[in-house]
Amino acid sequence: MVSFRLPQKRPVEGVFLIKNEQRFLFVLVWGMIAGWALAGLAVQGPFEAVRGVAELQLHPARLINDFTLIAGDGAAMVNAALVAALGLLLVRANGIRLSGPTVAAVFTMMGFGLFGKTPFNVLPIFLGVYLSARFMGKRFGEYILMALFGTALGPLVTLLAVETGLPFVPALALAAGGGILTGFVLPPVAITMLRLHQGYNLYNIGLTSGFVALFASALVLAGGPVLETGGFWNTDPSSFLGFLPLSIIVVLFAAGWISGGKAVFRGLFRIFSQPGRLPSDYIELTSAGAALVNMSLTTAMAWGYVLLVGAPVNGPVIGGMLTIAGFSAFGKHPRNILPVLAGVVAAGLLFRKDLSAPGPVLGALFSTTLAPIAGEFGIPAGFIAGFIHLTMVLQTGGWHSGISLYNNGLAGGLTATIIIAVIEWYRSNKEPRKKRERHSKHEESQEGSV
Amino acid sequence: MKRKEFILHLIGEIAHFILDSDPMRMVISLHQEEDGLHLAIFDDTERTDEELEKIRTALNNAQRPELAGYYGSMAGYDMFGTARLNLVGWQIKRGDVSRTDSGTNIDLWFGGDRFDPGRFSIPDEG
Repeated sequence: MVSFRLPQKRPVEGVFLIKNEQRFLFVLVWGMIAGWALAGLAVQGPFEAVRGVAELQLHPARLINDFTLIAGDGAAMVNAALVAALGLLLVRANGIRLSGPTVAAVFTMMGFGLFGKTPFNVLPIFLGVYLSARFMGKRFGEYILMALFGTALGPLVTLLAVETGLPFVPALALAAGGGILTGFVLPPVAITMLRLHQGYNLYNIGLTSGFVALFASALVLAGGPVLETGGFWNTDPSSFLGFLPLSIIVVLFAAGWISGGKAVFRGLFRIFSQPGRLPSDYIELTSAGAALVNMSLTTAMAWGYVLLVGAPVNGPVIGGMLTIAGFSAFGKHPRNILPVLAGVVAAGLLFRKDLSAPGPVLGALFSTTLAPIAGEFGIPAGFIAGFIHLTMVLQTGGWHSGISLYNNGLAGGLTATIIIAVIEWYRSNKEPRKKRERHSKHEESQEGSV
Repeated sequence: MKRKEFILHLIGEIAHFILDSDPMRMVISLHQEEDGLHLAIFDDTERTDEELEKIRTALNNAQRPELAGYYGSMAGYDMFGTARLNLVGWQIKRGDVSRTDSGTNIDLWFGGDRFDPGRFSIPDEG
């Protein structure tokens, strides 16, 4: 027997570089969250903003409830900052690196803090996922992404607390129990869903939470309550909100440039050559600087699209842009999102949809969940994926009563699954001609040698 | 059962990677021990230094528990598209890559959280 002593995995200088980059990213994201909170307090006045945040905690949060209309711009921003801060604290406390997936999760949480997530409704989900990890003898850090993204089911907690018609205390207990149970079942479902679309739907927890929400919605409706439909959509947002995306674009670009200098261009070219399939951590693959500039570019594209179709720049729309920004450190880039976006626009025009209406505009922004299909299989595949996605997403919200905030993740997951199934079936059965010729030549030579 | 599935999926992913280069020969040898296991993979594909370095980097990337526990579950399940060695890399203790007379040899060492590398051994092939 020969014994092997295994050396450390990572060289010391690598650790030093990563530590510096980590410090920079944590300072940047904490700074952005603090900036949002302070801007929110300033724009609405501290007292009104805090009162608005309190009001949001017990306001129905199912799709689509634009917090900027319900409680004001400032309250919505402070709420979003609190939700993001909870996510970032969880990342820090568990010693997890702030990289592509965690940046995506924190930005997505901040975005959805403008229309559905609140500190009140995300905490039971966190606890449920934590218990799930402990139950399986794993560290919470291994399930942390499922906990962060799993807050998509926050509206279920709020629904059980305020929409069931039960007295306050039993309703609160039901909400906490329901949220914990939901968080507990998320990891096994998320892992199974991942295998369905094989990483070609970036919002895997969107598919997962949509799937879980189908059951949750059926159970709730079986209990008798009639859930109101409609919600709130800010059609006349303030000019402050209108220019908020610009501040995100500028901050991300400046931070990327300061971090990486001219070297970000080399990193950007590398990012643009990636298919973007899960998991594609652009910060690890290139650098924080290149990933941040990529985030800035895609957010600028999203903002440009929204302005082009004349949609209001309200809470959900800014939420969509923040999600695009976050996932541009984890799978998205201009080259792989454009074909999908084009497919959505084509479907909207063909079926005579108003591209500035809530469904189509959010469908367009969040359709970029299918970017890896364009990245891996080319522009036509991405275009078809976007086209199918819009038709699907306009239907799927009703299936789960708007309980899952990542409705586009559900539609995108179903779209990716069917497209991947067809492509896989075709590729597995159609052996390339060159390969066939090589194998037949090899068989002939084997026969000859015998 | 848990251990068996884990090994099968990692073998699946690494076999997927080897088969991507369409080899005429592939040998996978497993040495299982109490403290961990050693997987030795041989093929007849001649790779450049750059290709070997890419494999080495993918297998020896930093520990990422948040990715290993979630996306790492795709290893060995997903036979579509190109193989992804980083899915394996997050779950191993170390990966070595070397050139042989006729191709490439990849050595992978696995172990759980209580894995003690000092006690890890493999059979002497000599």
